[in-house]
Amino acid sequence: MQRARRIAVTSPQTRLAHARGRVRGRWRMPRLEPKDAERAAALHRAQRVQGLVALALTSALLFGLPLAFALWPELDRVRLLGIPLSWLLLAAAPYPAMALLAAWQLRRAERLERR
Amino acid sequence: MVALLALGALAAATVLVGLLGVTAMRTTSDFLVASRRVSPLLNSAAVSGEYLSAASFLGVAGLVVKDGVGALWYPVGFTAGYIAMLILVAAPMRRSGALTVPDFAEARLASPALRRLTAMVVLVIGVLYLVPQFRTAGLVLGAVSSTPYWVGVVIAGGVVSATLALGGMRAATYVQAFQFCLKLVLFIVPAVWLVVQVGPDVRHEAVHPVEFTHFARDTPVSFQVDVVLEVAEPTPVSSPAGGTRVLGPGEHAVAAGTTLLFAEGVPVPGVGGNSPPGDGDWRRPLLDLGDSGHPLLATWSVVFAIALGTMGLPHVLMRFHTSPDGRAARRTAAITVALLGVFYLFPGVYGLLGRVLVPELYLSGATDTVVVALPAQVDTGWSGTLVTALLSTGAFAAFLATSLGLLLAIAGAIAHDLLPGGGLRRLRVGVGASAALMVLLALPAAHLDAGLLVTWGFTVAASTFCPLLVLGIWWPRLTAAGAMAGVLTGLVASSGAIAAALFGPPLEGWPGVLVTQPAPWSVPLAFAVMVVVSLRGRPAPWAVTAMLRLHLDEEQDRPDRSA
Repeated sequence: MQRARRIAVTSPQTRLAHARGRVRGRWRMPRLEPKDAERAAALHRAQRVQGLVALALTSALLFGLPLAFALWPELDRVRLLGIPLSWLLLAAAPYPAMALLAAWQLRRAERLERR
Repeated sequence: MVALLALGALAAATVLVGLLGVTAMRTTSDFLVASRRVSPLLNSAAVSGEYLSAASFLGVAGLVVKDGVGALWYPVGFTAGYIAMLILVAAPMRRSGALTVPDFAEARLASPALRRLTAMVVLVIGVLYLVPQFRTAGLVLGAVSSTPYWVGVVIAGGVVSATLALGGMRAATYVQAFQFCLKLVLFIVPAVWLVVQVGPDVRHEAVHPVEFTHFARDTPVSFQVDVVLEVAEPTPVSSPAGGTRVLGPGEHAVAAGTTLLFAEGVPVPGVGGNSPPGDGDWRRPLLDLGDSGHPLLATWSVVFAIALGTMGLPHVLMRFHTSPDGRAARRTAAITVALLGVFYLFPGVYGLLGRVLVPELYLSGATDTVVVALPAQVDTGWSGTLVTALLSTGAFAAFLATSLGLLLAIAGAIAHDLLPGGGLRRLRVGVGASAALMVLLALPAAHLDAGLLVTWGFTVAASTFCPLLVLGIWWPRLTAAGAMAGVLTGLVASSGAIAAALFGPPLEGWPGVLVTQPAPWSVPLAFAVMVVVSLRGRPAPWAVTAMLRLHLDEEQDRPDRSA
């Protein structure tokens, strides 16, 4: 298996310093090849749609659960294994749900880049 | 005593690792974070290791004792922050090559003025985030070694400065990853031990809370901060030196450092208008800020602020740069959500047991110490002492990891972005000065509400850096002027509201919630200002390219190249 090439990274500050040191004149934003620009624009649109869907799902979980607790206080009195159901829904349930959401978002985002 | 020895061992190990870290850095030219190819799993363990702070390790359980089950919304928000990171910033931020938000501002908008402004915001966020860490460290050191609060804070500041001066342990990703495993074990094993040891009666009581109205046994209460006790009926108290007096109905001031002994069956006095642990509001899974009567709004505000604020924390962003590329950064964020989820299953266990076994902590203002106070209640022999030592070590490790990362970020902002020149010596001086400032600010913070302190850093981050990063990454029309205006508006709005909550008149009802937790209006306001000012100006000709570059995946990951 061929290992991927290393990518050198400098902070923009370092980049600026290098640019200033080497050539006098204004630093320019790196350009994109037309083919790359096209691909980046398509990715930007696709990831934006996917991101909005994932954000909506996350918000539904984070804001819906408190709303459910406020609307149905009887959840405090229902018990599962002796523990109030609403406590379980708050203390344990969100974490697997968020992990699944993260896995789903990761898979979708990577699939968009595989095209 | 054992706890102190364990803390000493941890400090020694940290310094040793720091020294080794310096050597490793020199021999492997590891200085540039990106020269390492760290796998996403290892890197996300490192991210979690740095993120799990004293507030997570101790603070959440303490808040459960003080405010109720609803305090478990804090860790939900802490975890949700990484979903927001994953969706909105992880991969593009890594592809920008920027290490910090000031770097990003320069890379995307090429504005030195914006760079300086964002460096100022890094300072504000860092201070707001670090003060509660130092406060908790001070309270815990005070509790395990029975020294006054200020001694604990000064010791904590000294250890942090010494560690950084001797090289710091930050350079190595594997150290942070190790820290995460250490914290996970030191948190989960004692929790399981406690649940097994306490016996069926306490377990039953933990999930069937009753209001804490009368002391269940003879209880000594060591007051860590000045409090005013509200006594409803005559209450006999005795001091450890002997001598009993009766507190009549009314208010009684108790100075920090006093120890009072309440006998069994004596009614529990009230403290500062807080409802006692275990009452009806305590049992609700919603978070009521200062008993405002609007728990749903308060819960939403806190979760909103924390989830969006995480992406602006300086020590968190920097960690993503040990990923080799944008795709790995995204994977790191996703795995972090799962790792944090495992850790955050347990603060509730400590909180519920703490309410049964040490409810008197809510009187003494030291609920943050509930985690380390529990083992001694369950077992007074060697095993209890050992578990206390394990927990104190884990708590101090949590405090160190977060504080070191943040102090370096603060010192870096001062040395690189705010002052001309630079250099390593200046960075070291900056670190020392920042640590001293943190100690000074933490000293008067002992009586402040831990829950508010924890969220303020997140609130400022959510109102300033969240709009900057989200619009900078996803909206090509953002201009430098718009970004400046938005960040300034968010900073003034959020910190102004915090100042009003601290020093202003107390507000009732929903205005009170929106002043103590301003994120629901300050974040949309910052977004709106950024968009409106940007639309009135004209973006630079290269703006579209600068944004698109962040979304272009790395060539070697594309399918037609990998064959």
